[in-house]
Amino acid sequence: MKRLLSLLILLFLASPVLASEELHLFNWNNYLSKEVVANFEQSCNCKVVQDYYSGTEEMMAKLLAGASGYDLVIPTQNAVQALIQRGFLEKLDKGALANIKNQDPGFLNRSYDPGNVYSLPYAYTTTLIGFNVQRLKEKEIEPTSWAVIFDPKVLEQIKGKVTVMDDADELFGAALKYLGYSVNDTDEKHLLEAQQVIMKAKPYWAAFNSSSYIKELTVGNIWVAHGYSSDMVQARNDALAAKRDFTVYFILPKEGAVLALDNMVIPKEAKNKKLALQFIDFLMDGKNAAGLSNDVGAGNPNAAALPFINPELKQLTAIFPDQKALATLETLEATNAKVRRLKNKLWTEIKLK
Amino acid sequence: MQGKSWSKYLLSLPPMAYLLIFFAAPTLIMLFASFRYPGEYGGLAPWYLQENGRITLDLTLENWQRLLCTDIYIRLFIKSIGYAVAATLICMVMGYPLALMIARSGRKSRDLLLLLVILPFWSNFLVRIYAWMIIFSPVGALTRMLNGVLDLFGVGPVTLMYSPTAMLVCLVYVHLPFMVLPLYANLEKHDLDLLDAAQDLGAGKWRRFWLITWPLSLSGVIAGSILVFIPVLGMFAIPDLLGGTDGIMIGNVIKQQFMESRDWPFGSVLSMVLTVTAVAVVLLGSRLGQRR
Repeated sequence: MKRLLSLLILLFLASPVLASEELHLFNWNNYLSKEVVANFEQSCNCKVVQDYYSGTEEMMAKLLAGASGYDLVIPTQNAVQALIQRGFLEKLDKGALANIKNQDPGFLNRSYDPGNVYSLPYAYTTTLIGFNVQRLKEKEIEPTSWAVIFDPKVLEQIKGKVTVMDDADELFGAALKYLGYSVNDTDEKHLLEAQQVIMKAKPYWAAFNSSSYIKELTVGNIWVAHGYSSDMVQARNDALAAKRDFTVYFILPKEGAVLALDNMVIPKEAKNKKLALQFIDFLMDGKNAAGLSNDVGAGNPNAAALPFINPELKQLTAIFPDQKALATLETLEATNAKVRRLKNKLWTEIKLK
Repeated sequence: MQGKSWSKYLLSLPPMAYLLIFFAAPTLIMLFASFRYPGEYGGLAPWYLQENGRITLDLTLENWQRLLCTDIYIRLFIKSIGYAVAATLICMVMGYPLALMIARSGRKSRDLLLLLVILPFWSNFLVRIYAWMIIFSPVGALTRMLNGVLDLFGVGPVTLMYSPTAMLVCLVYVHLPFMVLPLYANLEKHDLDLLDAAQDLGAGKWRRFWLITWPLSLSGVIAGSILVFIPVLGMFAIPDLLGGTDGIMIGNVIKQQFMESRDWPFGSVLSMVLTVTAVAVVLLGSRLGQRR
């Protein structure tokens, strides 16, 4: 009885205050500034309820399986394309979005949503290499190329200290770039070449890991990790805060990499579209948008945000790529069932052998 | 008398219906899905085509052919069964003495010991796996101590994390209670007078065990083995977190079909094979149990 009572009390505490409105947000984990959320909650007298995902496919699977009740979703560009094609998204009412003028035109009107009918850019990350500066220096390895995760000659010296993402699109993307192809290459011959590159490097890797490489890097278990730029910023900050005897840093490989442009979209079935629009407009305000870079380490597609962003962060080309770096970056495109099937077969072979 | 049996069926109807509906319906849906084409952006393609008012079926055997046209999926099943058999055997060897010890101890300590067996369930499964990840970590105390000792004998350092050993340790750790509990339930009911009688007739410790306790406990052994074997066979979280670069099991590939590659039809094919394997093991187990 006592336990039941305490459970009821917990439930009561967990339930939000009834009087205010709720905004249900489906976002990448660790991809929103807490302070900005608190400010919004105060200004609109509402509550932002967050639900998180850690991979595009996980989010897509959940949405396509019929998960409803989200008012705002933050998907990456290829997912936006697929969601539009599935007729899943609501057209954005631009009249309600005064801050739209703040957006950097370079990130608008992209091929996945021409004219930004359904989506507006939120933030961007690159998929790159995070590394332990001291350990690599001892081995005299310069992690400027994808060779640091793919070339057996380099890997021999850091065997068992490398993880790569447990994500077929990202890993094939990196391998294709290493070979000099586009990350969206669907030519079976090129994909087979990429598979060979991955297979040859695999014996030297510790694991496929997309979920805990921040921790592994900051603890010092892993010296080289393939992952998202915003995560690497966090790993660097965590290692600094923990006063480790090494530093974590990150670099954009010279061959180029995957650029992920994340967007704000409203599902057709959203219950609170008005509040969702209000939040989008709030996030496009320069000061609020800057929170995403300062607190999370993401790149920012909002021109008005730039003056508010920490200058140290702004000069990192891995986070804010300059024109030269931008030219080497590519966004992933949505793939059809046939290509997905082929990639998955190659991926399963990689995992099994 | 008749009224009584009628009420028995009435009472057992809801759970029966529940189990039947939530096993049979998904299985049938998957069976149907396994003959369909995947949708272009996920989900399933329509199963019929409408052309000039004529309706034609759009089903295929392609998904099943894919299972057989390469050996990787068969090898994956064999590997998963290997892990499941190993985990079951280790659980049995470790769980049997434990269950026997609990069943033969005094009433007071028995309750306490049982509670201790169940205790890990109080914390979430994933949290316990993450705890193991910390224990196995290369900078963790266990690994450093082990490598320190190995170094004294001139053996090179070993890594525990991301290895088949780490996976097996966790699989056993998580499923051990599922072996101990049914075994305990069985062993506790044994008539100890039988053992006394055997002793009076001159049977030694080992003979008493092999001739009396073991045969009587077989139904518990089979129940425990099924409860361990089947969840391990479909496990995906442990290989995902601890498995390293080749720790993949069939559960991971099924998960991939529904998540990463959004290929429901092929995911259904693999799930069907897994379901059939599991049902076959249960039938085999209950057949073995009956024969005794």
